[in-house]
This record gives sequence, C-alpha cells and structure tokens, in this order.
Amino acid sequence: MAREEMTSLQRVAAALTFGQPDRVPAAPLVCGASHRFSGLTYGEWSQCTDIDAMVQGHIDALDMIGHDGVVMLVDLSVEAHAFGCEVKFPEMNTAHPNYDDPYLKSHKDYKKIQKIDPRKTQRMKGVIDLTAGLSKQIGKTHAIVGFVYGSIGILSMMRGPEAFFMDLMEYPDEVMEAIQVVDEVLVEYAQAQLEAGAHSICYDHLYASQSILGKDLWEKFEGPSVKKVTDVVHKAGALVSFHNCGNGIYFDMSEKWGKPHAISHAYVADDVDSWEEHKAKWGKKIGTIGWIPPGPVAMLGTPEEIEEECKAEIEIFAPGAGFVLATGCEYGPNAPLRNAKRIVEAAKKYGVYE
Amino acid sequence: MATKEKEQELIKRLQDAVINYKVADAKKTAEEAVASGADAYKVTMEGLAGGMEVVSQKFDCHEYFVPETLLCAKALYAALDVLKPHIKAQAGGAKGQVVLGVMQGDVHDLGKNLIKAIFEASGWTVHDLGRDVPLKNFVDEQLKTDSDIVMLSAMMTTSMVGIKKLIPMIKEKNPKVKIMIGGAPITEKTVEEYGADTTADNAPNALREAMKMLDTLRKGKAA
Repeated sequence: MAREEMTSLQRVAAALTFGQPDRVPAAPLVCGASHRFSGLTYGEWSQCTDIDAMVQGHIDALDMIGHDGVVMLVDLSVEAHAFGCEVKFPEMNTAHPNYDDPYLKSHKDYKKIQKIDPRKTQRMKGVIDLTAGLSKQIGKTHAIVGFVYGSIGILSMMRGPEAFFMDLMEYPDEVMEAIQVVDEVLVEYAQAQLEAGAHSICYDHLYASQSILGKDLWEKFEGPSVKKVTDVVHKAGALVSFHNCGNGIYFDMSEKWGKPHAISHAYVADDVDSWEEHKAKWGKKIGTIGWIPPGPVAMLGTPEEIEEECKAEIEIFAPGAGFVLATGCEYGPNAPLRNAKRIVEAAKKYGVYE
Repeated sequence: MATKEKEQELIKRLQDAVINYKVADAKKTAEEAVASGADAYKVTMEGLAGGMEVVSQKFDCHEYFVPETLLCAKALYAALDVLKPHIKAQAGGAKGQVVLGVMQGDVHDLGKNLIKAIFEASGWTVHDLGRDVPLKNFVDEQLKTDSDIVMLSAMMTTSMVGIKKLIPMIKEKNPKVKIMIGGAPITEKTVEEYGADTTADNAPNALREAMKMLDTLRKGKAA
C-alpha cells in the first residue's frame, strides 16, 4: 500500500470534483452504527440530547474504521419530528414516526404545517450542533457531509407513505402548499449546517427513482425543492450530493434540478442497464458514492466477498476519479463494524491512483 | 340473473375502473353487478383481478409507479368490499393462503400492502398481520390458518436479522410451509443464508413466485 499523501478531506474533495485524489476515498456510511462507539443506546443517540457523546462516537468510529468522511444522517424522521410529528425511539432500532397515529390524518391537515426555526427546534438543532462539534475536531482533516431529507420524504413521514402517495394525485394543491413551507425550513437548515462547518450537503431525494414515483410526478413535486436547497449550497461554494437507494434513479432530473457533484446510490440510473454503462454515461458528470450492498455484502459478506466486491467496484468506477467507495445505503446500525474497516482497507489496497 | 352480455359489460367496466383508478366507478359497477344478479366470483376474478393484472404489467414496464398502483388498489377494494359477501363459498376457489407481515421493529408496510392487494385480487386468501409483527405471531398464524406460504417483509438490516431467527421457528412447526422474503436489503444471498425459499423484488413478481411455490406444494400433496 502506498503512503497516503492527502488528508481525508482533500481526498474526498479531489474525488468529487474529478481532480486527482491519491486513492479512492472510502465512506461506508456508518451513521447510526457510530452510536456503538458513543456509550449511548441507539434510541438515546437518535434523540440527539447528548451531542458531546455523539461527537465522540463519530471520532472513535473514525479512529477504528478509518473512513474519509462522516455524514450527519441521524435518521429520516429528524425533520418530520421537528415539524410536530410524533416519533418513536426504539432502544435498538431506527427511530420512526408513529404511523398508527400520523401527524397528518387527512389531506386537510397539510395546513397544520407551520414554519419552524431549524436552529432552535429539537433534533434539527441537534444535527447542527453535532456538525459544529465535529467541525471543531476534524473539520480540517475529514469531510463532514450535512444531511437534509427531501421535502416530499418529510411529508410522507408525517402523513404515512401510502396516504401521501395517493394525496400526490388526489390532492396535489394541498401537498404543494405544504411543500412551500417545508422548503423554506430546509433552505435554512442546509444553510445552518454549512455555517456549522459542513463541507457538503447531502439531499436525500429518495422518491426520485422508478421504485416509487414516475419522473413527471417527482419533478412536479420535488424538482423545485431540490433547486432551492442546492442553490444555497452551490452559492456557499460547498459540494452538493444526493442520496437515493431506489432502483432506476433519475440522474437526469438530479442534474437538471440540483447539479450535484455526486450521488450516493445503490443501483444504476434509470437510463442505463449496467454499472459499466452507468460509468460511461454519467461517470464524468456526476460522481458515484456507492454501491456496496449493505445487507448481503456489508452485513453478511465474508471478508473475501467484501474485498471482491470492493475491488470490482473500484475497477469500474475509479478511473477518472468521481468515485467514493461506500455502501449503497446507510451501513446497517447492527452490522459488524469490522466489515466497515474492510471496506476502507480495500480502498487502500485497490484504489491507489498512480 | 344478468345476461352474458350484461356480465361481460360489467366485467369490462370493472377492469377499466381498476386500471384507471376510478374508485367511485368501481364501487358503482360492483353494486350494479350485485343488483343484476351477476356471478360475483366471475366478475371479481375477470373484472377486478383482470384489471389488476393489467396494472401489474403497467407497473413492470414503468408506466405505473407506486401512487398509481395504490389508487388502482383503492378502486379494487371499493368494488371488492361490495362483491365479497356475494361470492358463493363453493365458487371461492382460493388459489392459496398466505400469512403476510412486516418484521418486528419495522414499520415500512407499503410493499406489503401492495402485495396484499395483488394477491387478494388474484383469489388468494391473505392473512395480513400488519407491521412490526412479533415473531411468534407469524408461527401462530401459520398454524392456525394452515397457510401454504408465509411472506416476510423487512426494509432495514435491523429488522432483516429477525428473519434468520423466525424461519427455523416456522419450519420446526411445519416443515412443508414455503417462505418468501422481501424488502430493500434482501437478495438471493439472504434467501440462501437465512433458509428461505424465495424472494421477489416487487408485488407482481411475488405473485409469480407464490404461484410456482403453490404448484410445487400441490404436486407434492398429489404425489
């Protein structure tokens, strides 16, 4: 293994701006999994009440695993919770809305959504404080990626996904009105994370794929939201990334509305059929952060299978930069942490640029 | 008793209502079918299931996505609620029975609900346990209903691990039962590792897989 010449931050920045990194960066998305270094239960971690312990958890995870960047994802209910949605915090599982008693019980309830100040509200404030705490300690050496769940993702948490998807078609005006309020808050939230020291903001546009919404419907409801948030990030000179673990992701829509530097994804774009095709079509325009399968490989894979998978992905995607080796979705909060380290080791072994 | 022509007209209207997600039309046509004395089983299978088959094809070729499919299912249920009480027991001819649910600790039930709609439309009896289901409930429900297949859904790695524990619990009580697993983190490797019988990546494929498993089970019984 060659001596590393760059800091993790330089490496990630070089990779995502199609520069010349010393090696492929590795970021196995150990977000919730970092709670295991913090002395907190997953439930306590998710409540964001002990920010110092969370900062230390991330730092200790970095020490052990050696990844190049941390992502400020706590769980996808952070924003919905701040807007008033009741959230459950299981001790050993991912926090989630109480879908038995949704905050938005009918299409008429979209009016309930009022503007909030993310700098002062519940866990959104927690994420901002976490970003600031990490920035102080590792902001000069490691990539800190802020995280914003997209407008329609947030609303689906508050309404329940099934009812929400039908509302998109049956009550579009009511949904649209709520999106405007959510957008204003998300713009401020992204801004606040950048001010706290995030080098990039990751916008999760989970429904921008063939797994969930048609392209036209997605564009109508979330395209403008993406633009509002990413405009702020671009203007600040920070990197824009998206996350989407759906199948057949709309890279063209992502480019149109957000001009991202990279997308964290688990499957190929909707307009190609293989990873090789994906690299050829999108690899010079939008970087890839991915795409190790979190379940079968990162969680259940043998050391040999993990190494093989990482090697194969690096071979396709490393040329020309624009690649961060990562899991295609969040690393299982309960998955063996040694496997995350193996991913980083594979990047060091196979991802060195000459 | 409705004439053959009338019955065909009702079937066509039910299909159209499901395919074009016209909830009110579906309900109204079902009521008309009942009032006219049409064969409730026939109009259900050819009208509603027939319509849902077209929906599945549209979903497969990315003409329809989740919202459209959910609305089709809404139209389907609006009609099915009217027709179901009029389906004669002997005509029931359920294709098979499944126990269906989302694993303990997991509240993502969208995929599970789409599967339920497609299976019910196709004449299956579905015992839906809902979401965040304790492991033991799957075992108990399978035994109680003697279902052919147990279908387990998990969207997260944290809930997926429960499947590994649950499959031996089910198989211990009933070794012949078939088990299908599905959800974002699940692949063929998980099927192999956890000892399930199969997986499917969407509702129409789940139906195809279930038909195959049922066929195997019934051939086994016949032999």
